Amino acid sequence: MNRDLSQANETAETASEQTHFYNSLTSEVGSAGKIEVARDSVSEPVIRSWCDAMSESNPLYINQDFANDSKHGGIIAPPAMLQVWTMSGLHLGSQFQRNTEDSPSAGVYQLLDEAGFTGVVATNATYHYNEVIRPGDLISASQKLLDVSEEKTTAIGMGHFVTTETIYSDASGKQVGSMEFRVLKFRPGTGKKSEQSEIKPPRPKPASNSSTDWFWDACNIKELRIQSCNECTNLQHPPAVRCLSCGSVLLDSVIATGKGTLHSWAIAHYPQVPAFDYPLIVGLVELEEGVRLVSNVTNVELEELEIGMPLEVDWLNVDNEFTLHQFKPVHNENQEAEFENTETGDSNDQTFDSGQNNPETESGQRQVLKLDLDNVQIGDELPISPVPVTTLLIVSTALATRDYQDVHHDPKAAQSKGMPNIFMNILTSAGIVSRWINDWAGSEIDWSSIELRLGTPNHPDDTMTLSGSITEKTQHGSQVSLNIAFLGKNDRGVHVSGNAKILLPENSKGD
Amino acid sequence: MYLAMQKYFSQKIAREIKMNANFSSETAIVGIGATEFSKESGRTPMELAVEACEAALRDAEVDASDVDGIVTFSSEQNFEIEVARNLRIPSLSHFSMIPHGGGAACGTIGQAAAAIFSGSANYVLCYRAFNERSWHRFGSGVQGRHAGAEAFDVTFGWTSPFGLLTPASWVAMFATRYMHLSGATSEDFGRVAVTDRKFAATNPAAFFYERPITLEEHQESRWIVEPLHLLDCCQESDGGQAILVTSLERARDLPNPPAVIASAAQGSTDDQQAMRSYYRDDITRIPEMKLCADQLWKNTGLGPSDIQVANIYDHFTPLFLPQLEEFGFCEKGEAKEFLRDGNIEMDGQLPTNTNGGQLGEAYIHGMNGIAEAVRQIRGTSVNQVENVENALVTAGTSVPTSALILSQDH
Repeated sequence: MNRDLSQANETAETASEQTHFYNSLTSEVGSAGKIEVARDSVSEPVIRSWCDAMSESNPLYINQDFANDSKHGGIIAPPAMLQVWTMSGLHLGSQFQRNTEDSPSAGVYQLLDEAGFTGVVATNATYHYNEVIRPGDLISASQKLLDVSEEKTTAIGMGHFVTTETIYSDASGKQVGSMEFRVLKFRPGTGKKSEQSEIKPPRPKPASNSSTDWFWDACNIKELRIQSCNECTNLQHPPAVRCLSCGSVLLDSVIATGKGTLHSWAIAHYPQVPAFDYPLIVGLVELEEGVRLVSNVTNVELEELEIGMPLEVDWLNVDNEFTLHQFKPVHNENQEAEFENTETGDSNDQTFDSGQNNPETESGQRQVLKLDLDNVQIGDELPISPVPVTTLLIVSTALATRDYQDVHHDPKAAQSKGMPNIFMNILTSAGIVSRWINDWAGSEIDWSSIELRLGTPNHPDDTMTLSGSITEKTQHGSQVSLNIAFLGKNDRGVHVSGNAKILLPENSKGD
Repeated sequence: MYLAMQKYFSQKIAREIKMNANFSSETAIVGIGATEFSKESGRTPMELAVEACEAALRDAEVDASDVDGIVTFSSEQNFEIEVARNLRIPSLSHFSMIPHGGGAACGTIGQAAAAIFSGSANYVLCYRAFNERSWHRFGSGVQGRHAGAEAFDVTFGWTSPFGLLTPASWVAMFATRYMHLSGATSEDFGRVAVTDRKFAATNPAAFFYERPITLEEHQESRWIVEPLHLLDCCQESDGGQAILVTSLERARDLPNPPAVIASAAQGSTDDQQAMRSYYRDDITRIPEMKLCADQLWKNTGLGPSDIQVANIYDHFTPLFLPQLEEFGFCEKGEAKEFLRDGNIEMDGQLPTNTNGGQLGEAYIHGMNGIAEAVRQIRGTSVNQVENVENALVTAGTSVPTSALILSQDH
């Protein structure tokens, strides 16, 4: 009896402690911290390093002559950098160390850290862009604590969601933008095992030896090669050590055009090997040169598979270790759309080959489907874009967004906070989505807002594939605005989803 | 009546002219023995192998000390020397292991017969024994296989990086093309499974004894690798099957009626690959099986109408169909009609897989199908076909393969 009573008392005490803890977490809800003024004004070098890290090539941000001739009359900062200017930066122990104790969210973070909720991931962010920001502007931020949730069970772990709102202003006090931001502070080790430790193993490497290395080496530079005979011109696959037609040892190879048709297919459902996504389409492709090879068929719905369908080669970079040929349908229905050449400058961009809406010309040069300002329709799709997530990308973008949190550059620190490896920060997710939309929309549009929901993190060796479509088109007077719903998926699930609102130039019809 | 006469004359001719001076009808299967077929044998493959061999020797009433040959086929983990040691076989003057797994099942009988005919052995045991269900699952294919430089690994380099890792997936590629060209449907594949399970339902030794299925159940079963449903795939089994071969002359002195090896043949043809011969002109045909068929018909003088019962390799249902075509039971692309007309059922033109096949009885890589053909010749099958003169057995498809015909001794 006594024992039961004491247990009941303990339970009651625990409950009471929890209530007390939660009350202290929420005590500052509604209050605002002091206004933080950026250490430095907006500057072109910081813009350029951000654009470099994000592979952003919008000339409004980096090309002085182009920007001068634009309606903006000069360089502007990428709207997605809104949050960057007032980030505290890296000045550990220096006299400039920002005093964040006044910030109501900092107080909550500290309480949560002390209670063991040391892990942190951003989960949602909504940015509204009111005014264009230009070099020389001095941005200040005023943060308000909007909400601290009760303890929640999430895939990453048990934790509390902390929501803040930050108003950004220029030196004159005019609001240039705002951000609603939500993070999950979680207790490491309390999440689902699968989220914490399941790092997808790589695909099986092609087994190879000195008789076949040339084929896979060619794949690594995106050349599909077929073994050829120098004496009788026979082509053969898989390669052999003699010509299968005349017996010659004088074997060489030729580069295939990469065009072919689907000879047969299999859709694997079971057993599921962790390296692959299922259902997995494997095709037997007959190249126009007359030989067949086995490859995956991508960018196609299962029900669209048809023997004889035209295919063309595509490339899959596996963990930055080797490249495999893939095949995708040749689509002709977008012939009326307008294409524009884009230069692919750096190595990062080369692998940003897009999917089905991104046909190649006969010369094989890459073309990118651009937004047609005068004929834009609800349902129009943006080019699918796979983004290889590398350690370099995660670290360089974290630094370019002036985010020095260790989970974005230090694997051990990330692991101690319950993550399997370093992961991309939310400012980068926003930056890459913006960059992808700019690539498609061009430099004439204006940004209104972007809202992001984060799911599974982007770790090194992931590939995030971006896709999206226009879901709304609204007109206010002469102003047409578009809502783009987007999705960025990696192999474990959705990394980011959300909506971006952009404004078309006033003279465009939008239909 | 016409068929019966044709059969009579062709057999007569076959016996009289001893086609091609081969060793047709010089040898016979005299003993068959198996363990139970299960999901978990609870003992080692070696115990299964030895038990199955002991059972075959008991069945034949032959002493192990008379055995002087062993023929097995690859994937067999029980080496002949260890089996011989356990059986107290004093010496082996012929032993061999045929490559390419289930494709070699009938080849073991052929090579045993050749060894006996040549004089290099008198009694040859052929066996398969494993725990391919409870130990390493055979159907998992080449998952996790090291990407080495050996030729065998390198051939998988052309398929494994794309996720084509399992036997079901390798076979599915043929099946899609076959459906496309022949008009066969998944239901046609299902007819093979339904018939197998119907025979298995009345075979107490079968994995699926008393568990028939309907075509609807086949259609509703989940995808393994499209176009293959779960019920298109045989299930890995634990178990062992052994077969004892000797000369027809010695066989006649033993208690069982001899199952005469009228002919056994192996085949490998153009641009042959292991499981993935995808690079030939027509991947809906099985030219290596055609090569076996041609040899069997030539060596025996028999033809399709002389076969009363068959065991057609059915690890996966789709490749059952082109085998019927290669043996001439129907024209190319018409196996679907042959199945739709009920020809492989007990009252059909060619009752097939009367033990339940590998889909219904057990997946012992074809050796249990040979044992069933022996029972059909002896007249002891649980699903006995009347007046069996000749029984056809085929081995694994999409690999270099083999086939045989067993006949009554007259």
